[in-house]
This record gives sequence, C-alpha cells and structure tokens, in this order.
Amino acid sequence: MSAALEIKNLTVRYPEFAHAAVESISFFVNEGTITALIGPNGSGKTTLIKAILGLLPYVGDVEVYGKPVNKIYQQIGYVPQRFVFDQTFPITSYEFIDLAIPKDEDKNKAKIEKALKRIDALELAHKKLSKLSGGQLQKILLARALVNKPKLLLLDEPETGVDVAGEQTFYDLLEKLVKKDKVTAIISSHELDVVYTYASQVVCMNRKILCVGKPQDVLDKDTFIELYGRDLKFYGHKHL
Amino acid sequence: MQRAIIGGILIAILTSWMGTLVVLRRSSFYGDAIAHASLTGVALGLLLGLNPVLVAGLYAVLISLILPYLQKHSNLPTDSLLGFVLPFSMGLGVIILSIIPGYQPELISFLFGSVLAIGWADIAVMVAFSLLAWTIIKRLGKKLISASFDADYAKISGISVDRINVIFNILLAITIVIGVKLIGIILVNALLVIPASTSRLFATSLKQMFTLTPIIALFITIGGLIASYVLNIPSGPTMAVVSGLIFLGGLVVKKFS
Repeated sequence: MSAALEIKNLTVRYPEFAHAAVESISFFVNEGTITALIGPNGSGKTTLIKAILGLLPYVGDVEVYGKPVNKIYQQIGYVPQRFVFDQTFPITSYEFIDLAIPKDEDKNKAKIEKALKRIDALELAHKKLSKLSGGQLQKILLARALVNKPKLLLLDEPETGVDVAGEQTFYDLLEKLVKKDKVTAIISSHELDVVYTYASQVVCMNRKILCVGKPQDVLDKDTFIELYGRDLKFYGHKHL
Repeated sequence: MQRAIIGGILIAILTSWMGTLVVLRRSSFYGDAIAHASLTGVALGLLLGLNPVLVAGLYAVLISLILPYLQKHSNLPTDSLLGFVLPFSMGLGVIILSIIPGYQPELISFLFGSVLAIGWADIAVMVAFSLLAWTIIKRLGKKLISASFDADYAKISGISVDRINVIFNILLAITIVIGVKLIGIILVNALLVIPASTSRLFATSLKQMFTLTPIIALFITIGGLIASYVLNIPSGPTMAVVSGLIFLGGLVVKKFS
C-alpha cells in the first residue's frame, strides 16, 4: 500500500499568536483509507487541513502521492468546515459546482449531474445556492469535491448541518468511494461513532499530535482526557 | 448620431460584460477610482500633444499594475489604496491642466462625455478591443468568478488568483478609458455598475445575470442617446440619469413583486 499523503514536521504559525497553531505534525496516510482527525475546538484540525492544501504558509514537508500539493490540485476534493459566501451572489448549485471544473467542455454537464446523482441531490441543481438549507449546502459542497473524481478528499467536519439520515448516506457513500475507487479521505470529525465505524486510522491532536493509529488501539480514556481535559464526562459510549 | 449609436452599442456591450464581473467581484469602487485617475493621463496627453485617450489608457493600466504591488507591500486593503489613488491622480491631473495655457474644450468632453467626439477611428478601436475582451472573458470568465466567489477553492482548482486579477484589472482599465469617451470620467462608472446591479436584483443564476445585464445596458445607452438628442441635453449625464432611474425602478419592482 503506497502513501497518499505524507506530512513531516509541519508547523503553522499565525503572526498574531505567540504559539504555533499546529506544531511538528508528522504522519502518513495510506492510499484507499479513511483517516479521522480528532481534537477539541481550536486544536488546529482546520489549520492542518488548510496547510495540507497549501492555503496557509507552513514550515515542514507535505507530499500528496509523492508530489507537492500544488502539482496535484486536480486530484484533490475539499469540503470546508464553514462555507461563508456572499448570499446575494446569483449562482445556482449547478453553476457553483461548474466553477470547480477548470475547462469548459461538453462533458462538464454529465460530470456535474453524475456528482449530484451520487449524493442524491440532482433536484438541487438549479436551485439558488443562497436558498439551500445547511444540509443541502453540505451536499452541494460534497458534490463539488467529487466532481473532478479526486484521489484525495479532505473533509473538514462534513456532517455539519446534515441530519442523521443524511449523515448515514454521506458516510456510506464515502466508504464506497474508498473501497471501490481507492479514494483516500481525511476527515476532521467530532463524531466518535464515525471514527470507530469508518476510519482505519485516527490522528488525535491538540496543536501537537497526541496519538496516531487504529481507533481501537489508540483511543482510550487516558487519550480522551489528554485531548479534552480532566473535566470530560464519559456517558457510556460503547467503544469506551 | 449614427456613430454615436454604434459607439454606444459597443460600449454598452463591453461595459456590461465587465460590469457584471465588477459587480460580482464587489469592485465597483475600483472602476470609479480608475476612471477618475485617468484624468492624469488625459491631462498629460493634452500637455504633451499626444492622444489623450491613449495616454489615459496607459496611465490606467499602469495604476492597475502598481496597485497589487502596493497592496502586497503595504498589507492594506484595496479600497484604502484606491482612496489614495483617486485623489492623488485627480489632483495631479488638475495641476497638469492648470499648467496648460488657454481653455481646454476637450477637458469638458472627457469629464462628462460627448457623443460628437466619437469618430470612426474610435469605433474601430472599440470593435477591436471588444473582440479582444470577449475572447479573454470567454476564456477567463469562469476563473474570474471562481476567484472572487471562493478564492480558496479557486486555488485548489489550479487557478492563479493573483495573475487572473491583474489580467482583469488591465481589461477593466482599458474598458473604462474607452467608456470615458462616451459618458465621461465622472459618469462612466454608472454604465459599468448600474446595469449589472439592476440585473443582480432579479437574476437567480449567473447565466441570467450575464444575459440580462447587456440588455439593460443597451436600453440605457440607446435610450439615453435618443433622450439627449430629442431634449438637446448632454449625452453622458442623460445616460447616467436614465440608468439611475432604471435602477430605482428595478428596486420598486423588486419590492412589490
């Protein structure tokens, strides 16, 4: 199994803060697997994802399929945590997804419709983006991430705003993509069930890496206390 | 009148394409600042005995190229820098004009536009530039929209956001200077911004906005020219007033629809 993503000693600093947002992060992700990033709010998950994508300056090395990320952008799909946009912008879901396809070609229509069908959202194609509900918008963001048939998916809390049924459909689709199309996915999530059910690797972080490995092997009460603090209450989660 | 109508149609189409992108990119003030800054170019042209429109075009392009550099090195937002460019260039233009001896009849036509000033040579320039602008917009339009709507994803889609912004700003600078001939430095932004803003009130898709804006721009330009001819009033200000009335009408219709 070859590495889809390899990160070595990655550190990101924001000029306005004295300490690093993420520090000395190193791990690798095998091709065709799901890796979950977990950690409390402000632990640097979004910063890490943005650094991997080259959207933030960093120190260290990031290689995607053995190449610098900007050489392989066309094979990356990304769903941001919060998509804030100009609500008055007159754009339909279809046009929004189309913006992610660099070339204007006849086959774009089929590509967009296929991406929408995959997430069961074809009926949203001609709806104005600003008129979509939170869950519908997440679906469209996922369709955009899938439209170029990516090899690597970076999903930053993709379940935000999605109802339980939608979440199930989403993760089932993701599992299918990983198993059938050898897509590699990196997901930041607070949903422990998702981590245990779908992820083959978990990266626990709170600005620094606290654990890396199979969820069943590395996630225990001590890790969670280290991640979330001693005040953390355990409500009889089946895995703990 | 024939040349004015042909010139008006060409400028309406050109400014509507660019104006749609200007409004979508929320860079209306950029157009206004460049238009006012071009006064320095006009003044320099008159002082040196060169074609004022050509010099104004070169000056506007120069400003477009300098602005990203200033932004990068000052870390200030674009509107703050435009707030410097506009008064500086306007002031410089007026000082240069004060050096030129005698009355400058061309100055008034540049400030408020003049249909009579449009010759066949101007129309040839408009046709050539419109074709060039169309080709570039056709190639880069989607990238321009992507870069302004979601810059992060534009980057992931392989778009060089900085480069595309520079290309757009140069195109916009030339469009504005061409528009100045018809409607004037002070009013050209009306033709650039108001048709697109009016269509934005009603459009539910980009396709609708790109279709509706040229129709509104043509209506404003031809309607304004006819009104100015019939009422014997200046063409530029007439078009600006017509466009303003159409926008206000659009607001009313939107409110009650």
